[in-house]
Amino acid sequence: MAPRENITRTLFNVIDELNQLRSTEEQLEKNLAAPLTGDSGRLDSAGLINLIVLTEQKTAEELGMPILLTDDRTMSQVKEVFGTLGTLAEYIQRLLNEKRDG
Amino acid sequence: MAKQQHTCVLVSDFNLQNFAGYVTNDPEFPPIKAIVAPFGQTGSTLLHKDAPCWQNSPDAAVIWTQPQSVISAYKTLLSYEQVPLQTVLNQVDEYCSLLANISKWVKYVFVPSWVLPSYRSVFGVLDMKTEIGLTNTLMRMNLRLAENIEKASNIYVLNTHKWIEQAGNQAFSPKLWYLGKIVFGNEVFKSAVRDIKAAFSGLLGYARKLIVLDLDDTLWGGIVGDVGWENLVLGGHHHLGEAYVDFQQALKSIKNRGILLALASKNEEQVALEAIGKHPEMVLKLEDFAGWRINWLDKAQNIVDLMTELNLGPQSTVFIDDNPAERERVKESLPEVLVPDWPEDPLFYPSALLSLRCFEIPSLSQEDLVRTTLYLSENKRQTLKKAVGSLDEWLTRLGIRVQIEELHPANLQRAGQLLNKTNQMNLSTRRLSEAELMAWAEDKHHRLWTLRVSDKFGDAGLTGIVSLEIQDQSVQIVDFILSCRVMGRKIEEAMLATAIHHARELGVEGVYARYIPTPKNKPCLDFFKSLAPRFQQQGESFIGDGKMPFPVPKHIELVY
Repeated sequence: MAPRENITRTLFNVIDELNQLRSTEEQLEKNLAAPLTGDSGRLDSAGLINLIVLTEQKTAEELGMPILLTDDRTMSQVKEVFGTLGTLAEYIQRLLNEKRDG
Repeated sequence: MAKQQHTCVLVSDFNLQNFAGYVTNDPEFPPIKAIVAPFGQTGSTLLHKDAPCWQNSPDAAVIWTQPQSVISAYKTLLSYEQVPLQTVLNQVDEYCSLLANISKWVKYVFVPSWVLPSYRSVFGVLDMKTEIGLTNTLMRMNLRLAENIEKASNIYVLNTHKWIEQAGNQAFSPKLWYLGKIVFGNEVFKSAVRDIKAAFSGLLGYARKLIVLDLDDTLWGGIVGDVGWENLVLGGHHHLGEAYVDFQQALKSIKNRGILLALASKNEEQVALEAIGKHPEMVLKLEDFAGWRINWLDKAQNIVDLMTELNLGPQSTVFIDDNPAERERVKESLPEVLVPDWPEDPLFYPSALLSLRCFEIPSLSQEDLVRTTLYLSENKRQTLKKAVGSLDEWLTRLGIRVQIEELHPANLQRAGQLLNKTNQMNLSTRRLSEAELMAWAEDKHHRLWTLRVSDKFGDAGLTGIVSLEIQDQSVQIVDFILSCRVMGRKIEEAMLATAIHHARELGVEGVYARYIPTPKNKPCLDFFKSLAPRFQQQGESFIGDGKMPFPVPKHIELVY
């Protein structure tokens, strides 16, 4: 199972990709605690879509395990899951654990 | 290179925000700021010049659509209903007239070709059938689009299939489509940005014009001075030998598009030239090279000498060498020369060369096709110059003939190239598309002439432009452009004589030229300064008497 550091590294790679699309003022921090969505977050809806698609893609590529972030379960708790990179990492960890446990 | 930021409007029937992000953030030259038109409103955006996105005179536009959105007959075909091919093509023609419309108010328009996601091919065997197959019809639509657009000089169709291929299985993402109405994956957008920037750079006159090549282990395998030309790895039934031949063929094809080749090699000249002349598998012959420096001197200095000989600057030059130390040396001393990282394995040489995106030229003129010949003729002129006693004798013996022509469709392409590429002898350095140039020349207050220069060594082609704006009691010289290829032969004086001859016919009092300085056009300033007292400098303008004749130099035959 992918240790937490690997998930964090993958998410930081996602942020690197995302930042290529964003202006200097809109750059996202590689910081687990920095807010992503919500009132103080930097991601608008288009940014969130890119975050979701890139996270699914990179998780499959780098961690060898596909995950789904567009299902009802995830979409019903967008604020909680995508609040920060830390909450997203935690959620991915949970999904991967569930996959492992069948 | 100038750091001015250019603006590019993106018009689409799908979400291009990601593409806009890559366009704006890409660090490569030229800097471009993307302005995204509201998506899904392609038709009205293309029709209305007063739409907000067209304000502030954008430099370029990318019109990227899905075929089923703009060609309704194709949408019908996607439902596997039968549609006559002619109906589809008629709609393509209508769409092209919309594109032609915006090309009147945007300098450059890029139109990515239409594609369908690969998963759309449900009926594989029918896919290429006429009037039934989706791919068959789409190919015809793209062909029609390209044919129609050829009539406009400032619209360029770009090959989307290449970007799809480069993006591999990440080219299309149904997830991006359903969540964000984004048709393509980001890898497609990244490839598109690279191609559009390369094309734009070429249109702005920044395409590279010269490749300086090493010989040993670059054009052939082995050290010719050690092994002799008979034992070089080149051609034959050998994978490396074949790769070197392919690399030379790729270089020759680039040379056939008007890019000059030159050699900078540490070798004994006689040994290296013998190898080029005698090796039966050499694709490149000595006459394919516009110049060479084969000696034991510093390569950076040799490249400077070659650039001087060929009248080109470091920003026009690419240096290819297998030796990383030589590459570093040239990078360090000539930072504007493009020195690509070069693969260690010669099997990758051809693809490394062909993936360089720095040779984009917007059009191909007769001059491009014979450029190396032009430079070889120049070598003969310089040899004569060294042999004769004085500059005047040399000029007389050249037998220079200058043919003056007005601008017309047949010389427009080359005139446009010259206007947009020339930096040194250029009074105002204005950059215009072919359509803009023609429209300007057709104005009743404007006059524009092109100059074609030839001598006993050959025809340098269309190498000069002089234009006038007629005002009340004076004329202003707007363009005064001469290719560096023919500078220093007093052609400048023949150009000025042409302008003043026409000013006198108009009966004006004065002729003036306003010099607009750039980092590169000091030669033009020096020329006008040299005309004192005939022309007096006042600030950045030069003012002369419009009634006094200006003689054509005796060694030049002027033909109208």
